[in-house]
Amino acid sequence: MCFKNRRMFLVRIGGLFLAFLSAIGNVTMFSVNSIVSGIMPPYYLKQIVQQAIQIGYFSLPVVGMTALFAGMAMTLQCFSGFSELTAENAIPSVVMVAMTRELGPVLTALMVAGRLGASMTAEIGTMRVTEQIDALTTLSVNSYKYLVFPRILTGTILLPFLVFIDDVIGILGGYIVGVYYLNFNAANYIHNTFASMKMWDVGSGLIKGAVFGFWICLMGCYHGYFSKGGAEGVGRSTTNSVVSSSIMILLLDCVLTFVLF
Amino acid sequence: MDYVIRVENLKKSFGSRIVLDGISLNVKRRESYVVIGGSGSGKSVLVKCILGLVKPKSGTVEINGQNMMHLPQRAIFQTLLKCGVLFQGGALFDSLNVIENISFGLIYGYGKSIKEAYRIAMEKLELVDLGVEIAKAYPAELSGGMKKRVALARAIATDPDVIFFDEPTTGLDPVTSGTINELIVKCTKEIGISALSITHDIKSLKRISDRIGFLYKGKIIWEGTNSELTTTDNPYIRQFVDGTPNGPFSH
Ligand SMILES: Nc1ncnc2c1ncn2[C@@H]1O[C@H](COP(=O)(O)OP(=O)(O)OP(=O)(O)O)[C@@H](O)[C@H]1O
Ligand SMILES: [Mg+2]
Repeated sequence: MCFKNRRMFLVRIGGLFLAFLSAIGNVTMFSVNSIVSGIMPPYYLKQIVQQAIQIGYFSLPVVGMTALFAGMAMTLQCFSGFSELTAENAIPSVVMVAMTRELGPVLTALMVAGRLGASMTAEIGTMRVTEQIDALTTLSVNSYKYLVFPRILTGTILLPFLVFIDDVIGILGGYIVGVYYLNFNAANYIHNTFASMKMWDVGSGLIKGAVFGFWICLMGCYHGYFSKGGAEGVGRSTTNSVVSSSIMILLLDCVLTFVLF
Repeated sequence: MDYVIRVENLKKSFGSRIVLDGISLNVKRRESYVVIGGSGSGKSVLVKCILGLVKPKSGTVEINGQNMMHLPQRAIFQTLLKCGVLFQGGALFDSLNVIENISFGLIYGYGKSIKEAYRIAMEKLELVDLGVEIAKAYPAELSGGMKKRVALARAIATDPDVIFFDEPTTGLDPVTSGTINELIVKCTKEIGISALSITHDIKSLKRISDRIGFLYKGKIIWEGTNSELTTTDNPYIRQFVDGTPNGPFSH
C-alpha cells in the first residue's frame, strides 16, 4: 500500500516534470519562430508603430503614477528608520539606488504585465477563437510575423525607456516628500541623490527592463496564440499570461541581480 | 484528370472523438463541389484540414497538385495565395474596417499599393451587394448577414483559383441569398474558379452545385450530381433533402 502510494507520487512528479519540459520547449519554439519570421523581409512597419504607441505612450500614466507613489512611500519609510540612527543624509541615495536597481524595473514590469500582457493575450486569444488567425494564414500572412514579432520587438525595446521614466519620477516623488514634508534642504537632497550615483545602477535596471519586456510580451502572445474554448478559454489564458509573467518577473529579477552585481 | 483539390483517406479525431474517418474526394478544375451533412458532422473540420489549418491524423491533401502535407511554410503560403476562404463565422479582423479587411490579402499577400487594393476592394463590395457607405465601418457595427458578405468579398478579392465557402448563405434573407448564389455561379461558370462549398441551404445547393458529397459519420457516403440528388432513393439523402423528422438519421 505504502509502496504503491509512493510509486503514484513519483509518477505524478514525473508527469509534472515532463509537462514542465514540454512547456519550455513550446515557448522556446514559439519565440524562435516569431523572431526568425520577424527578421525576414517584408517588414510590417505599421504593426510595429501601432504596438510602439500602445506600449510606450499609453502605459506612461500607469507607470508614472505607481512610480510617484512608490518613491514617496519609500522616502517616508526610510525616514522613520534612518532618523533613529541619525542617518537621514543617506535617504536620498538609498531611494535612488532602490528605485533604479529594483523598484523601477520591477514595478514597471508588473504594471505593464497587468496592463499590456493581459490585453495582448485577450486580443490574440480572441483572434484565435474567432478564427481570425486562421484567416490570416489563408490570406498568406504569417501570423507570427504579423501579430507576435511586432509586440515582442517593441516590448523589448520600449520597456527600458519606461523603466527610465519610472526611475526619474520615483526619485522625484522622493524629493517631493523629502523637501516639502520632511523639510530637507532642497540643494542638499539633490546633491546627496547624485553624489553616490553610479551609471551601473541605472544601466542594470534598464537591462532588467529589456528582459522583462521581452518576457511579458512573449507570455502575452504565447497564451493568446494557443487559447482555446471560446470566451472562457480566453479569460483563462489571460489569467495564465499575467500570472506567469508576474512570477517570472520576480524570479528573473532575483537571477539578474545575482548575475549583474 | 485535372484535379484542383485531391483528398485521400483523410482522418482526424479530437481526443477519442473521430470526426473524419477516411474521407476521399476530388474537385475537378472549374467544378463546383458542395459538401452537405448534418450539423456537427465535420464539414468545417474537413475544409480546415484541407487548408492545413487543422493537422489531420493521416491522409493526403493536394491543392493545385501541391501536396500540402509535405510543403515548406513558404510554399504553403504560395499555394494559399491562390485560394479564397470564407469561414463559417466570417472571421473578419475586428481591428480593421471593412475596406481594410477586404483589401488585406491584396496588400499583404500580393504586395499591391493601398490605392490599387482599395479600388479592387470597392468593386468586390459592390459585387456582394453592399454600398460604399459601409467601407469605413468596423465589423462590430455590421449585422450578421453584412459580415458574411464582407467576408465573402474578402475571400474573392484576390481573384483566387479555388474558393472554399463554408455556408455562404446562412443567415441571409432569401433575396440576398439569391444574389450570393448568383455570385458563386458567376465565379464558377463564367470566371472558371473551382469551388468547394458547404451548405445547409437546399435551394442554394441546387443552384450552385455541379457535384455533391454527403458527409455522414466521418465518411462521404454518397456522391452525385444535382439531378441524382432529386432522384436518388438513398434514405439518408431523402431525409436530409426533405427535412422529415423520421428516417435513418433519427436512429
Ligand atoms: N477544435 C476542436 N476541438 C475539439 N473538437 C472539435 C474542434 N473543432 C471541431 N470539433 C468537433 O468536431 C465535430 C465537427 O465539427 P464541425 O465544425 O466540422 O461541424 P460542421 O459539420 O461544420 O457543423 P455545422 O454544420 O453545424 O457547422 C464537432 O462535433 C465538434 O465538436
Ligand atoms: Mg461548420
